[in-house]
This record gives sequence, C-alpha cells and structure tokens, in this order.
Amino acid sequence: MQNTIRRKGQIDPSMIYKVFGGVLFIYLFLGFMVIPCINTLTSVFTAKDKAGNTDPLAVIRFFLAGSMPSFVWNSLKLAICLVITVNVVGISIVLLTEYFDIKGAKILRIGYMTTLIYSGVALVTGYQFLYDGNGIMTKWLVEMFPGMNKQWFSGFNAVLFTMTFACTSNHALFLRNAIRGIDYNTVEAARNMGARPFKVLFKVVMPTLLPTLFSLTVMTFITGLCAMSAPTLLGYNSINPEIVRLAGSTTADEAFPQARAALLSVILALFTIVLLLFLNHYEHKGHYLSVSKTKAKLVKQKIQNPAANVFAHIYAYVLFIIYMTPVVMIILFAFQNWSAVRTKTLDLGGWTLSNFFGVENYSYTRSNGKVTTRVGAISGVFSNEKTVGGIRLSFILSALAAALACVIVVVAVNYIFKHKNKKRAALIEGCLLFPWLLPTILICYSFRIFFNNDVWYVFGQNLYYKENVRLLIIIAYTVVKLPFALRMVKAAFYAIDDELEDAARNLGASNLVTFLKVKLPIVLPSVLAVFALNFNALFTEYDMGATFQSSEGTTYAMVIQSMCNEEGRDGMNMNASGRRCASTVFIMIVSGLILYLVYGVGSRDLGERLAIREKRRKRLQKLKGRLGMGHASAEPAEQQETV
Amino acid sequence: MIKLSDIVVKFGDFEALHNINVHVKEGEFFTFLGPSGCGKTTTLRTITGFIEPVSGTVFMQGKDITNVPIEKRNIGIVFQSYALFPTMTVHDNIAFGLKIKKLKKDEIEKKVKAIAEKVDLSDEQLKKAVSQLSGGQQQRVAIARALVTEPAIICMDEPLSNLDAKLRVQLRNELKKMQKDFGITTIYVTHDQEEALTLSDRIAVFNKGYIEQIGTPNEVYNYSATEFVANFIGDINPIGNNIMEAMGLNPAENHFIRLERVHVNTDTASGEVYVTDGVIESREYYGLYIKYYISAGGQTVKVIEKNDGINIYEAGEKVKVGIHKADVMSYTKKEA
Repeated sequence: MQNTIRRKGQIDPSMIYKVFGGVLFIYLFLGFMVIPCINTLTSVFTAKDKAGNTDPLAVIRFFLAGSMPSFVWNSLKLAICLVITVNVVGISIVLLTEYFDIKGAKILRIGYMTTLIYSGVALVTGYQFLYDGNGIMTKWLVEMFPGMNKQWFSGFNAVLFTMTFACTSNHALFLRNAIRGIDYNTVEAARNMGARPFKVLFKVVMPTLLPTLFSLTVMTFITGLCAMSAPTLLGYNSINPEIVRLAGSTTADEAFPQARAALLSVILALFTIVLLLFLNHYEHKGHYLSVSKTKAKLVKQKIQNPAANVFAHIYAYVLFIIYMTPVVMIILFAFQNWSAVRTKTLDLGGWTLSNFFGVENYSYTRSNGKVTTRVGAISGVFSNEKTVGGIRLSFILSALAAALACVIVVVAVNYIFKHKNKKRAALIEGCLLFPWLLPTILICYSFRIFFNNDVWYVFGQNLYYKENVRLLIIIAYTVVKLPFALRMVKAAFYAIDDELEDAARNLGASNLVTFLKVKLPIVLPSVLAVFALNFNALFTEYDMGATFQSSEGTTYAMVIQSMCNEEGRDGMNMNASGRRCASTVFIMIVSGLILYLVYGVGSRDLGERLAIREKRRKRLQKLKGRLGMGHASAEPAEQQETV
Repeated sequence: MIKLSDIVVKFGDFEALHNINVHVKEGEFFTFLGPSGCGKTTTLRTITGFIEPVSGTVFMQGKDITNVPIEKRNIGIVFQSYALFPTMTVHDNIAFGLKIKKLKKDEIEKKVKAIAEKVDLSDEQLKKAVSQLSGGQQQRVAIARALVTEPAIICMDEPLSNLDAKLRVQLRNELKKMQKDFGITTIYVTHDQEEALTLSDRIAVFNKGYIEQIGTPNEVYNYSATEFVANFIGDINPIGNNIMEAMGLNPAENHFIRLERVHVNTDTASGEVYVTDGVIESREYYGLYIKYYISAGGQTVKVIEKNDGINIYEAGEKVKVGIHKADVMSYTKKEA
C-alpha cells in the first residue's frame, strides 16, 4: 500500500534502489549464469574441422565413433549401483537405530553419522590410505581371507564401496526425520488388526517413507552421475574426471577437447534436468501426509524371532565397524610418527604431534654413503607452508562465498515475500534456482572456459588469469550454493508471521528498521546455519577446486589430494600421509564444531538462551557460596544484577 | 472519535466492503462481529491504515486520516497472534515503539515501567523472552506494547481466539476491566457472539461486506434487525408451517423464536399464547441449564430450561409447549 502522497515529477528514492537492484540482478544472472553456460552449449556445435570450417556435428560424430560413450556408461553404471547400495545401507542404518530395538543404538547412531563430519576428499583419501594394496585394513582382511586380492581397492569396486558409505548422510538426516514423524498409533492399529511385525514394517511404515526414499534415490543417482573426487582419486573413468582432464587439454594433444568436455557436461546437465523435473513432478503429485490430529511417538520394535534379532545385531555392528574404522584409524595415524604412517602399522611407542605442529629435519644416508639432512622435511599441518596456504585460501574463499550467497538470498527472499503472488518474485526465485538444474561441473567448466578470455563485462579482465582465479572461484562457489541457500532461507521466512511486520509498521518502524530489527533477527539462526553449512561444504570442496586448480587457486582439497604425491622422494616431505591424516582430523573438528553451533547452539530461541543464562548464573552463585564467597551470594539476586 | 464514511474496499474485482458507515464514540468499547470473511478485519485494517479504501473516508477526531501513513495515525493494535517479536525480551517488545520515536532512554524506562505496572507485569517478567510467558501474560504484553505509545484508540483483532475456553473467559474480564481503567476507545474484532455480548458497549454485525445492524448487546440480541443477525447471535428455532398457521402469523414472513422463550409445562396465562402437546425427543445436559429437543407442532423445537434440579424431563415424556406471540421474531422473506 502506498502511504505517502507524492507530487508529480518527484522521484521516489526507493525507485532508484529498485532500478539499481534490478539492473544489478540482471547483470549477475546473465553474466554469471546464462552467458557462460550458453557459450558451453554453443561450443559443442561450433567446432572447426582441420580446414578451419565450422562443422556443427563434428563433436557428436566423434562422440559416437570414439570411446566417449564409455564415460557416460561408466557414470550411469556407478549411479545405478549406488542407488541400490546406498539405499540398502541407508535404510538399514535408519531402521536399526530408529525403528528396531537394537542394543547400543545411540552409539551406533553416532557411528553411522560420522559421514556428516568426515566426507569428500578427506574421506576418499582416508579410505584409500586404509584400503589400498598395503593399507592396514587390506592387510587385516588378507590375513582373515588369504585368497583375497590385495589390490581389490581400485577402480569401480573402490569407488562403489567408498561412495556407498559416504553417501548415506542424507538418509541419516532425512529418512531418520521421516521415520520419526510416523504416528505410532498407525503401527498399533495394524498390530491390533493382526499384522505381524514385518508385515507392519512393509505395509504401514515403508509406504509412508516412500516419498522421502524416492527423493533420496534421485539425489543419490545424481550424486553417482556427477561423482568427482572418488573416481578421480581411485581411478575410475567417469564423466566428471574426463571433463576436467579435457578442460586442461589442448587441440595439439587431441581432437577438440573443449568441445568434447562441453558435450559431456551438456549430457550430464540433460540427465540432471530430466531427473529433477521427474522428482519435482512426483513431489507435486502429493505425499502420504499423516492425518493424525495427535501423533504418538514411535516406540522401537523388538525383533521377536531370536535368530533374526541376533542377525540384526551382528549386521548393525558390522556396519558400525565399517563406518567407524576409517575414522578411528585416521585419528590414530594422525598422532603417529612418519615411519609408522608410511609403513601403515600402528606403533604404540610412536605417538607424536608433529603431524599437526612444528617442523623437523630429516637425515638419511644416500647410496654413496653420504649423510644428507633435509631441512623441514617433516612438518605439521599448521607449520607446512603449502598446507597452511591451502587452508587459508579455502577458508577465505569459502567464507566469502558462503556470506555472499546468504546476503544475496536474504535480500532476494525478503523481496520475494514482499511481492508474493507477483510474476517478478517468481522470476527472481526461478533465476536463483537455475544453478540447481545444472551439474556443478557444467557451471565450473563454463566459467573456466568462458572467463579464460578478456571478457568485456568484467572490465575486460581474464578471470582465470593468476590471482583473478580466486574471484572466479568465489563467484562459482556462490552461484552453486544459491539454490540450497534459497530453499533454506525461504523456509525460515515462512516462519515470520505477517502480523509481526504489521506490528512493527504500526509502531512506526520503516521498512529497513522492520527488516533489520524484526525480520532479520528471526531468520538469523537459519541464515547463520546456511552460512555454516555452505562454508563447511566449500571448505573441503573438491569438484570446483579441481576444475579451477591453478598456481594461485590451489584450494585445501587440492592440497590434501597432492599431499602424498612426492612423499619421501629424496628425503623430502616425509610425513605427507601423516599430515593428511592430521588434516582430516582438523576437518572433522571444524565440521563437528560447525554442526554443533548450527544444530546445538543456533537452534535455541531467546527463551532457551535466557533460561540457560539464568541456570549458569545460579550455578555460579552456588559455586561462589561453596568457595567461601558467601557474602556475594547472600546478596539478593536483584542487587547482584544491578551491579 | 472514529467515523467511517461510505468505505468501499476492493481486492482485485472482489468488493470486500460495500459502503460501510460506522461512528465509534469516545471511550466506547465497540465490536465488529461476524462470521469469517464478512469484512470485519478488513474494516479494522482500513481504520489502522493497512488497507487503502477504493472510496470513502476515515475520520479520526474529526480529521480525515484516509491517506495518513500507518505509523502517523496514532492507533494502537493488538493482533490476533499478538505479533510479539520473538527475538526480543518483554521489555524490548514494549519499548520498541518508544525507541522508534527516539525517546530518551530514561523516559523509555519510565514509560515501560509504568505501563507494565498497569497491566500487571512484574520486573522479572520484563526480563523474560516472550516465549517464556503464558498466553495470558503474552496478551498483557501485547496490550502494554499497544498502549505505551499513548494511542488515541486501540484496535484488537480477535486477541482471544488462540486461547483455551477457560482462559478466554478469564482474560475477557481482565480486558474489559483494563479498558475501563484506561478509558481508551477500543475497537474489537471477533466472530464469537458471546465475547461480543459480554464485552461491548455497542456491536456492529457484519455479513458479506455489509453492516446488518449496529446496536447495544441488548438491541442486537432481543431486537435483531435482520434474519441474519437473529440467526448469528444466539440460537433460534425456525417456526414451521403448522405452528405458524396455528398462531396466525404472516406467511409472507419467516418467523423464529429463541430457545429460552419457549416454555415447557409453564402457566402461560398472560398475553397471546400458543400451546401445544409435545414429546421430549432427547436432552443435552449443560449443568447450568438443560437443552431439550421436543417434537411439537409437527417439528422439532429446541428449548433451554434452567436446571433447577426438580423439573428435569426424560426422553419420551409428554410435555406442554408454549410460545408467546410477542416473542416471535419475524422477517420478510428474501427473494430467492
């Protein structure tokens, strides 16, 4: 509603902001989302033949004739297999901890949820460290099963094994919430009508989980299709690693590498779009919503058959061991000296902090009998220049991108809510969700190729050149994280009662004051959570880091990946594997801390915070009394507060 | 005090208010009553400035405020959800409007303390988060926040609708007392006829964007101007053809009788009375009174009888049902 009467010809200052905001939004959307992607798409059809003529179908012909379909097939194979294995393991861990009465479920849950703090490149390198040919786990397995192939952990098997356990985080979060939302009365009703426990599970419980399971299946399929770190590090020829390889190749090495990379990313994008549209269509068809007025909390089901009960317990603890062993081993090896780590054997006398802090020299005897000392050959995570550089760069880039995504989304969502049911609000929302339709690799590849030229609308700069690449990484990080931020922040804005805004306006607050003092404090916990989760994901992000890797753009994930490449050569870099384990421990601490801050501290409302403060004050008062500071504690509470 | 003159409000093509005319007097407790979607909240939001009328004028203390911005109207609002800011303490909620007005800190403190005392909020409660208060306490905070800026009038949009029945009755009494203590003109929106009857000095009954009747509680209940008002306020029996013919009522009109005006086994000697035999179909026991469903005159007649503990009838029991002609409410039949 217009509250002020304006004279004809007078310019409304808010109009200037609106025009400026609109122009800026169009510039950002076209410049950093649409144009680079269109450039990628057109590059597929503008490849030139040897004579220099444009041949629109050259790349497609090359694709069909060459080995490129095998990359697509490999990705599809991985995605299909992952859907099966991840669902089997994911459903198992949720049923074992939330539905069935399994002894030690709380501890099991902690084990199954370790992937929330231990994921990405850290997890892949960790698994590689433990399961490769001379890994400690493979050694144990070979001792148990002498006929086993020592090199089992490579290629498809290794990728499938690693990703199966790495990709159950979503099941642990969302399927768990779904099963907790089941009305126990429906289970009781089925039992009352004579259904046996497993009949109840399959006929009553599972159907209500189907919508969640369907979404998780589609997301798992896309994850498998777009897998990057596991195939790259464990040696599996799927689409994403091939795109990155081709992006760094030249026409001198092979036929139109860039156009082929573009074609692969477009294929990936088509798969993703079709799957997401399918998912969207399914979600719009409706869910099995609970119609219960008063839900009863789910009571865990005891498995009545003794043999089945024993089997379930064994299965639960085997899974627990698979989840926990890498975590425990990596933590232990992070505190082992370099020789124990290199030989991958635990040395009970070899505990050290040198993988975290400090620099040591290393002396060794060369083949000619001379003793050589390598200065600084053993260095900790926080003392190694390259590692600290990677951490610093990733920290800054991730924090800036996460903050930028939050700012853009908060401003946009505020606008969207103010102009509900208007086309321009829907348009802005659509633009911000646009990156969700495209695989990360397509966006990054497009950025890398398009901005590796002087681009007029970025002041004629080459954004892939030297330090500029850092800005490009920030932009890519931000773009990729916008859809997630939008969905989360939008959900938070729904919690704002319209009457709060009316109340603030009635009390005289301007739009800006209402936003800053009323609305923002309400959504702030969610915004901070989005910031923290995005930061967490970006800090050790691999896919984009690999695409943009350059001398000035080596992120932490790339440092971790390259840490062991030259381990021990000529007496240099002796504790690279130990430092990598220490890096993983550092990442676990950072991720754990962020999750605690988001879900532990951040989810408390003002009432809970004040109650905790009051409890602490009383405890302190009691403590003071016990310590003989009774005089202070004897004072009335009100006087103390005034002081 | 507040005068609405020919107010028309449209949402797109839909006309939500049709030529609304109301005059709320100084110090009055005035209620907008009606079912959901009848236009009562829209009228309130037009007064407060959240909705701009297509035509018509809003006057306050004789001045045209139709185009005055919300924050300059000097109207306090208590919202249905109370709209207390969840991230602020009780104190900060009350002080919000004063801070916006850029009052000095000590003046803010003085005013907050004074209003808190008046609405019975302790110093300890002022330090709490609003989520730590009960529903009743939250309502007092909302009233304190609305009153602390010393508005000329206060508007309340169904402030009791989110509370349980017992608390609603308790707070209703507190609300009335507070309004009398402050002596502030109050416009109150509700769909609850009992709330409107007990609280109000005058009531405007809304229906489909029109005002059907404005009057005191007694006027709207006992002398309902329209069939809708009679139907909406309290329970009524439509009088069927048999009784209508027997009583000699005008067949061109619809006739109704309130439940408490139907007499069972009572001496109905005075006035023009229609008496017939009836049989108790069923009864509902409410404690203070008993509601009977009686088959009489070819229809089911609902009757409310005071529970005196002696004259309690059982289902199947034969009774005499009496209706005074003077108690019949008659309205011209509307064209279909």
